[in-house]
Amino acid sequence: MVEQTQTNSQKDRRLIDTDIHERAVYEDLIPYLDNPWKRYITDCHWLQEKHMPYTQPSIAGVDRADARVPDGRPAGSDLAFMQKQLLDDIGHNYGILTGALDPSPSSMHGWYEMATALATAYNNWQIENWLEKDERLYGSIQIAGQDPQEAAREIERVGSHPKMAQVLLPIDDILWGDPYYHPIFEAAERNNLMIGMHHNEPPTHFGKWPRYFIEWHTMIPTSHMIQVSNLIFNGVFDKFPNLKLMMIEGGFTYAPHLMRKMDQQYKDLRHEVPWVKRMPSRIVQEHICFTTQPMEEMSKREFMQYVDQMGSEDMICFSTDYPHWDYDSPTRALPSLEEPLRQKIFYENANAFYPKIPDIKGGNE
Amino acid sequence: MKQVVCKKTELQPGEKMRTNLGRIPVVVCRTLDGEFYAFSNSCIHQGAPMSEGAICGATAPTDTPGEYRYEKEGEILRCPWHGREYDIKNEGRMLVDPSRRLPSFKVSIEDDNVVVSK
Repeated sequence: MVEQTQTNSQKDRRLIDTDIHERAVYEDLIPYLDNPWKRYITDCHWLQEKHMPYTQPSIAGVDRADARVPDGRPAGSDLAFMQKQLLDDIGHNYGILTGALDPSPSSMHGWYEMATALATAYNNWQIENWLEKDERLYGSIQIAGQDPQEAAREIERVGSHPKMAQVLLPIDDILWGDPYYHPIFEAAERNNLMIGMHHNEPPTHFGKWPRYFIEWHTMIPTSHMIQVSNLIFNGVFDKFPNLKLMMIEGGFTYAPHLMRKMDQQYKDLRHEVPWVKRMPSRIVQEHICFTTQPMEEMSKREFMQYVDQMGSEDMICFSTDYPHWDYDSPTRALPSLEEPLRQKIFYENANAFYPKIPDIKGGNE
Repeated sequence: MKQVVCKKTELQPGEKMRTNLGRIPVVVCRTLDGEFYAFSNSCIHQGAPMSEGAICGATAPTDTPGEYRYEKEGEILRCPWHGREYDIKNEGRMLVDPSRRLPSFKVSIEDDNVVVSK
């Protein structure tokens, strides 16, 4: 058991890592695909469209240079190495797998039948090779969200698996709050699943790419803000009162501004969205959490100013983003915080967010 | 504290190696001119193992947007995680903020041995 292998200090720092990227190379998925989908990869060398025009940012592309599997396979593709480098070394209690966005079925700009087949294959591969092989790992259901009816069927198919914690929606150029996509949220809520949103290739600059990677990466939180605003003003959380949303890898420092701005707009423009019944900031507090990474370096005082403006200590959840280049260390990324808040950010908030994750008693309670 | 870490011929120009000085993890770097340097193996940002990073060059500061010139080949130690650039020949100072630097150690050559000390 995990608890038995932990030191006392690790027990004090219970940890749920809300963003871990496992990677399927396409060959991994072939045994889980039927024909003709399998043959499109083996015979036609199908690759998912990718658009990022930049030289990759760090010395190993978008990965930590030390996270490549020793036998040469890509970072995140081997459970044993991930266990050694991350889960065991850090002392994780739980981790949420969020995929590598390649393949990202919901990101495909066409051929939704292929996307649907890929999502099914990916979910089966994830369950068999990760979720059922490490009790600490919980999963994200891949769907082809462009076809909400097929997506809902996939959620029904695997949603009852005890290790599937959320439905993953990528942030690209689809605004998921549109009522057209509500069958996805309806199926998620029916299966006690949360929604996780993680950016893939969001067009942050007027539908196009900015000139430099540093611009794109700086402005990623704007794409998260657009989705939060879109879901709230399209009434998703009024229509699905048990639904919660984890905004993954955009950090949390944009939240105070967005909450205040939405409240101000709501006071003036409520007549346009009469299906929204509460102040937007309250909807955020009751339905949305934000993962920490990538953390801006800040002092404890600065950190607490953000928390104060969010009006809640229950919305921030720690994440590493392993094995990516901008990984955040659980021991180094955040300033030193008072114990109750530290426990919330590293464990309790995510534990409360994901109903399928059992609680582990411990820490300074 | 003083310690032999390797033979001079065991580390070629442009290479780096991980070692320990007592209990302190150290990365020893050899620049293209053959000189040896030693730094803490822990990045001052979040503690990444610098020996898993890269010895490389860097794009030179310029007053002209869009102008790229690569300089300091073999003189930059780049972090394996966030890619921060440290200038090996300038006391391990961070390029974007020279007031911050990797802790460094003295290196001497005694016979054919590379000796690190503090």
